[in-house]
Amino acid sequence: MYAAIRSATLLGTRGAPIVVESHVGVGIPAFTVVGLPDEGCRESRDRVRAALLSSGLEWPNRRITINLAGTAERKGGAGMDLAIAIGLLVAQEVIHPSAIERMAFIAELGLDGSLRPTAGMAPLVDAVSDCEVVVAGSAIAESMLARPPRLHGVGTLRELVDVLMNNQPWPEIDQIPVHVVEDPIADLADVRGQHSARLALEVAAAGFHHMLMVGPPGAGKSMLARRLPGLLPRLTDDEAFTCAMVRSAAGIGSGVTVATAPPFRSPHHSVSMAAMVGGGSSYIRPGELSLASHGVLFLDEMGEFAPTVLDALRQPLEEGVVSIARAHSSVTMPAKCLLIAATNPCPCGAGTPTRCHCTPHAKQRYLRRFSGPLLDRFDVRIHLVKPSTVDLTSDSPGESSAVVAQRVAHVHRVSLERQGCLNSAISAEHLDEVAPLSRDAMVWLRRKLDDGHLSGRGYHRIRRVARTLADMHGEHEVIKSEWVETAVSMRVSVVTQTEFH
Amino acid sequence: MEQLPQWAYNAALASLPLQTPLRLRRLIGLGDVGHVWEMLSNNERPLDGIPDDVWRAWHSCGEAHVQAVTEQCITAGVSVVSVHDQGYPDVLLSDPEAPAVLFFRGNSAVLGSRRVGIVGTRNATQRGKYFARELGAALAAEGVCVISGLARGIDVESHVGALSQQNGCGPVAVVASGPDVVYPREHHRVWAQIARNGCLLSEAPPGTVPEPFRFPMRNRIIAGLSEVLVVVESQSKGGSMITVREAMKRDVMVMAVPGSPGVPASEGTNDLLRDGCAPVTEVVDVLLALGLHHRNGSVVSLERDAAVDDEREVLRAMGRDSCSVDEVALRASLPVVHAAVLLGRLEAKGWVANSGGWWETLIV
Repeated sequence: MYAAIRSATLLGTRGAPIVVESHVGVGIPAFTVVGLPDEGCRESRDRVRAALLSSGLEWPNRRITINLAGTAERKGGAGMDLAIAIGLLVAQEVIHPSAIERMAFIAELGLDGSLRPTAGMAPLVDAVSDCEVVVAGSAIAESMLARPPRLHGVGTLRELVDVLMNNQPWPEIDQIPVHVVEDPIADLADVRGQHSARLALEVAAAGFHHMLMVGPPGAGKSMLARRLPGLLPRLTDDEAFTCAMVRSAAGIGSGVTVATAPPFRSPHHSVSMAAMVGGGSSYIRPGELSLASHGVLFLDEMGEFAPTVLDALRQPLEEGVVSIARAHSSVTMPAKCLLIAATNPCPCGAGTPTRCHCTPHAKQRYLRRFSGPLLDRFDVRIHLVKPSTVDLTSDSPGESSAVVAQRVAHVHRVSLERQGCLNSAISAEHLDEVAPLSRDAMVWLRRKLDDGHLSGRGYHRIRRVARTLADMHGEHEVIKSEWVETAVSMRVSVVTQTEFH
Repeated sequence: MEQLPQWAYNAALASLPLQTPLRLRRLIGLGDVGHVWEMLSNNERPLDGIPDDVWRAWHSCGEAHVQAVTEQCITAGVSVVSVHDQGYPDVLLSDPEAPAVLFFRGNSAVLGSRRVGIVGTRNATQRGKYFARELGAALAAEGVCVISGLARGIDVESHVGALSQQNGCGPVAVVASGPDVVYPREHHRVWAQIARNGCLLSEAPPGTVPEPFRFPMRNRIIAGLSEVLVVVESQSKGGSMITVREAMKRDVMVMAVPGSPGVPASEGTNDLLRDGCAPVTEVVDVLLALGLHHRNGSVVSLERDAAVDDEREVLRAMGRDSCSVDEVALRASLPVVHAAVLLGRLEAKGWVANSGGWWETLIV
């Protein structure tokens, strides 16, 4: 009359184990799901009923109560269909309880009784990896990302019931290796000219400094941004696993990939708040911010994004995680990405000062869309100008990504050894210790502060960028004035409002 | 009823609804302003050719209107003069379109010195702005009163230049809004400084917002006040051209600063030069036009630290072109980092300026 079956539900990018309790008792025939199910869960009733009947099994015409026990969170998704179906069969004593001991079931049921994968197979399987996990045959590859010790893939409910009732052998699963997919990343050698921009890009990669590019169309903003993942070191196993989990939870993991290349996400500017930071009505889906974890989040035409979406990025960027809080639950997802943004300098986008016909007012209004605190997050802010025809047609390619990536990797290694984090994450208290300034550099910065060209926050950020620049040039001790001055030149003020003194 | 001073009635008449400069001139021309106001309060129509609705609007303004305007002038520290008053600038007395009532803050005595109007586009190049600043400074140091409109770009730069001279002549700003309504907002410091050291002038009563039609109108006052009008940079159809036309109507000498062909900010000035305007290639040209004796080119210029070694090399390499950092590095054969550092130092010293990634030398 009663059965308890293990399964899992998705909370953001993590799976949570739950127990699906089924009770089939006397009373007016009914089917009730309790335990904070969402709409998708309630629909299970019809899928499970159809699947059982299609598989030649019996639907108990009695009072059925399903309880989703385990967490106080709202449970969503169709992944518990199979657990409900098995629970009903056990409660009706079609399957003996001992047959399902220490097993977990995660699959959606088709009306014909077939098993289907659901979004987030990898984190779901991960949550119950201490059990023998049964999933849809087509979900094997994605489930393998979680590296469960015992995993079974089954095609249909009938097949599964045969195995459990008659002790038949489990269907063979081809040992699909979790294969590593190498997305081709464009090479930095393709970028002609743009020496200062290349330098800024290298700084961004080496210190994980968020970067803003201001330049006219055709200056190569997107081109540079797309090459940034190629400069970053390959993902470690842990990082690659996190990325794969996030992709799986977002429902785009069915391609079965553990990529070691850092992810590159470039959402369109019409992106909604939920799609950017994560969220959603039924279950909380990871957003672009989480999908770009350990990689690059590129915001092209930053001015076109909704201001609320941009401002929502601020806190996650600082903390490296994004927390979505709801009345009933709160979910934390990874959000440790390198933000690179691009914008036009003015509405007309002509680029050269002589050709631009925008009034100063129009320019200001265009650039004032970015809030000060958001602009402050960008350690590196550069102006890009259209490369000259000489540069474009020259035959000599620039340095290739591989060469730059080596230097970047070196800086990463050095900074991790020195302070245990990358240069952009050095806390203000530790700056004096790990990024000491030379006398000249100190004098220069003090003058900038006195002139009012630099804010207190800008001061710390410039010191971090200067640390990266010095590291890139093999100087790991005291920071020379030259690097501080270069760091200042890489932090142009974007809003062209002139206060007259 | 307590008798209010004359200026209060002047201010009240100037701030009547549907008021225009011409109507105001005619009202003021009727004689004693207190009496004129009384006539309006008695629903009389002392002028011909004024539409009915205007009369109705004027008649509906009671004594409270005078009180309100008076208080506004006092709180804003604004003085009011009409053509009949002693304090009215002499230069404007002969002007056919001079405003009948002027509102000002500061010291209108500066208008007694030699006067040069400096006008130009709001969308100026860095070098144009720098030239305006130099010109303002040099003229102020020579005791010449700089007159401009305190708009963005050339206007404000010429004022900032004039204010930079400790013992120089204070500048005059002819503004389109009321003398207490700062526009654009980022000029609030210069605005206050001019009210302190020079004179802020407007034909609009305090509290008047900067409506677009007021700007071309104030240009005629700039033209009327100037002995020489210098156009630093202007588009071919810019607002500065209105000032130029007004100046030509009044036989005020117009001078223009030449610019490179094809630069929008210099199209207007180049047109003027083609039409026979006197060119200004250095600050001395303006002083000469005023007939001021200058001591062998020892014109005051803005102070800045000298460029040294590599910095000089960078300046030479840049010439008069707008360059990106990459171009500077290429021309001066320097590594990009080094070029960026040098440009930063030159910028701090005031030798170069950056707009949108393009660097320009500030050499006149």
